Amino acid sequence: MSYFADKQPLVTDIFSRYPASPQGRRSALMPLLREVQDAEGFVSEARMAEIAGLCGTTATEVRSVMSFYSTYHTLPTGRYHLQVCSTLMCALAGSDELWDHLVSVLDVQPGEVSPDGRFSVQKVECLGSCGTAPVVQLGDEGYYEQVTRAKCDRLLAAMRTDAPPPPDNPVPVTVREDGRQMLANGERVGASIADLAPVGSAMSGGEA
Amino acid sequence: MKVVVDGTELDLPAGTSGIDAVFAAGRDVPYFCAHPYLSPVGACRMCLVESGSPRKEKDGTFTLDEATGQPKIFWFPKPMAACTMQATDGMHIRTAKTSDVVAKAQAGMMEFTLLNHPLDCPTCDKGGACELQDRAFEYGYGASRFGFDRRHADKHYPLSDFVILDQERCIHCKRCVRYFEEVPGQEVLDFIERGGHTFIDTGEGGLPTGFQGNITDICPVGALLDNVARFRGRNWEYDHTPTTCTLCPVGCSVTLDARNGRLERVVAGENREVNEAWICDAGRFGHVFASEERLTVPLIRVDGQLRETDWDGAIAAMQRGLGGMSLADLALYLSADSTLEEGAALEALAGLTGTPSVDHWPRYGMNVETTATLTDVATADAVIVLGADLGEEAPVLELRVLEMLRGGILPPEFPHGTAIADLRLVERPTRHPERLAVIGGESRLSAHAGLRVSANGHNALARLMRPDTDELRAAAGLLAEAKKPVLILGADVLNSVTQDFTAALADLVTRTGAKVLPISAAPNSKGLAHLNLVPRAGGLGYDRLEEARAAFISRLDPAAHSLPGRARGFTIVHDTHLTRTARLADVVLPAVTNYEKRGTTVNLEGRLLPLRQAALSAGEGADLIRTLTALAEVLGVRAPVRGLKSAQALLQTRLGVDVTGLPNGGVIRPLGQRFEAPAGQVYAPRLWKERMHPDPERRGSGVPDREDRIATWELPMHDPALQPGGDD
Repeated sequence: MSYFADKQPLVTDIFSRYPASPQGRRSALMPLLREVQDAEGFVSEARMAEIAGLCGTTATEVRSVMSFYSTYHTLPTGRYHLQVCSTLMCALAGSDELWDHLVSVLDVQPGEVSPDGRFSVQKVECLGSCGTAPVVQLGDEGYYEQVTRAKCDRLLAAMRTDAPPPPDNPVPVTVREDGRQMLANGERVGASIADLAPVGSAMSGGEA
Repeated sequence: MKVVVDGTELDLPAGTSGIDAVFAAGRDVPYFCAHPYLSPVGACRMCLVESGSPRKEKDGTFTLDEATGQPKIFWFPKPMAACTMQATDGMHIRTAKTSDVVAKAQAGMMEFTLLNHPLDCPTCDKGGACELQDRAFEYGYGASRFGFDRRHADKHYPLSDFVILDQERCIHCKRCVRYFEEVPGQEVLDFIERGGHTFIDTGEGGLPTGFQGNITDICPVGALLDNVARFRGRNWEYDHTPTTCTLCPVGCSVTLDARNGRLERVVAGENREVNEAWICDAGRFGHVFASEERLTVPLIRVDGQLRETDWDGAIAAMQRGLGGMSLADLALYLSADSTLEEGAALEALAGLTGTPSVDHWPRYGMNVETTATLTDVATADAVIVLGADLGEEAPVLELRVLEMLRGGILPPEFPHGTAIADLRLVERPTRHPERLAVIGGESRLSAHAGLRVSANGHNALARLMRPDTDELRAAAGLLAEAKKPVLILGADVLNSVTQDFTAALADLVTRTGAKVLPISAAPNSKGLAHLNLVPRAGGLGYDRLEEARAAFISRLDPAAHSLPGRARGFTIVHDTHLTRTARLADVVLPAVTNYEKRGTTVNLEGRLLPLRQAALSAGEGADLIRTLTALAEVLGVRAPVRGLKSAQALLQTRLGVDVTGLPNGGVIRPLGQRFEAPAGQVYAPRLWKERMHPDPERRGSGVPDREDRIATWELPMHDPALQPGGDD
């Protein structure tokens, strides 16, 4: 039943990234939530309570943090979680019509998963791709841009055969397991957590 | 520190917040999120003011205004929230009174605050006493430019059995969230979602009982409402009576709101030295007994049955019952939550009849000297709780101990009252659990203690003096190293106080300089101990009630505690309800609750606190003074105390204190000699007594119980029973 019970190394690893203080323990909240969501597609109430126990906080606190981000889900999502931008630019370019088309074709409403377990839909706020409106984000993978009705039908057909085309624009920056960021073109940027050392020791190392 | 508010120059202590500077100048700013005992966060943005400070050149001189030759004031480019801004030397502040910018900014903020507020004031319990209503009237435009639909959300969302949340009315000031985190230290309430969708909820399936009701007091709008008082009356219909709560020995300041002779609501009053602004749930919600199933007429036993009668009938029945009995045979017992005046009246009558059997209950066999005040507890650097369950004995003392763990920061006092925003208070304060040691049974406070030692009460002190475990050694070390330690003694210890204990305690106090705060057994047992209300030589204590030839029992219910409920002979019971003991009595006289008395009570610190009479209908109920006058008539003596005035005059001579005209906050006065006698039985404190449990459903609140609520109102969360595809 417990998700983290048999993943002690992972939990230890996540906690090792933060100071060993009560505040530091609370900081592990976000990666733990992400871990559960990546594995299960959503974070159930039981998992929230479990994470609260790990972080030394309360389920209320976990839910508060989680509900702040629309990218965490309290309800199960389908294999293809379609997030339709509904902010101004996309709305001007027809995202409302796109949304209506999506929900009627797929016969799912927000919070539901289609009977075959493939599709779930969600309206989201600006995805920052106003130049290519309307935009649909597929899971965490990337954007389908300028989604017209024809393109939408094409995409859905491909997903029904479990062969979705690669996104027009992958997520610009992803964070790798080692904490290093990777641009969409594969370039690694920033530092890895492996390079981090406590401030004091880095200083003394420099002098030596 | 000189601060100029709207042209008025003030001299304020350093560290004063901008909002207090404004109020100190006699000006006003609206605010919703600031609260004297919570951290200022600047969430509501209503307390906007213009402010500016002089600037110093590199050589340390002020930059001067060329036109006037005075130091030039550099104004902040935008209005600032006064509650999170510290006033600095030479600062100038302009309020809405002198600044159009501020007036416009505040009116604009009010427009935003009211953006999603339902304006259902006519049906809102807060109407008439609502901060938002008042401030919207004073500072708003009176109209809104936002023509679109307001947000709709759950208007009857029960956070617990006692607190109902109206999500539409909430203005997101965060007071309740900060209260739970900062004061009782329970993070059970938080903002869920964000932006315009934000609402308050808990993920714990309800609020913890203890101190949850305080959020209904601090809510500046009608979002969090006391479910026991919900829809019971409008604010202007209530008779407000500021008085002292006498359900535990803390003596919190409360205001009683009564309507049509019923006590409908209790709200916390402010007493900086006792309860600050908080009261416990029992004090707030447990008042229902005062208006339910009250005994309103005397009852006499006729043919084995209790029959209603009037006082004349009762007096005649008592005369018949006590006829031919010696005056000294009538034992007199009273409840230890009676007022000092009532105690004095009973003491005087006992002196007249010469009965040696006088007692009050609950009390402990020996009294321990009190040397600490509640402020001492809050500002201590180490607290050791010995054998006490504060949640049952003195709940608000628990809050003061938790305040000590947060560093004991007491907001300063200004002529306009307690500082509205004390900038030393911060969100998520650092706590020092290592300063608290709890020795004894498990209690709610144990969770906050750095040191927990399970021990039984009677030898806890002896073990602390000669520590035999590492934990006890740590606790003893804490006590030895602290500069201002306080030792709190609870029932487990006080039930078995001996001469040895007193000597050991005196030794400990001399060695460590610790102040001692024993928790009195009952709300006024500290005061009544100074009156000779214990069995005299040859007298029968309350524990030997059944041996008495005749007894008068005031507001005590031994039968409910599986003890003999009546004397050997004629038994008179004086009580507010038809208790189990009353059912056994020969004559039952109606009493009044402490909500309906004038008088004086003494809290655990030894603070004399006034009781005032709320407008409750009590039928023919009479307090102990009047009842004893009737009893004296029965006994054929003239009652020495015949009313409140003569009782207070007697107290003046007996204890040397003037209890007339006590301030709401009370005063600590030495009361002289104490009387002690073995108690004969062990007292187990219980906060919630029979008849105190409010059942909102019984009072017609229309709120379904928890199971029904979960079925109807629980937010959409994943139900593992549902398969993907839902009901398709």
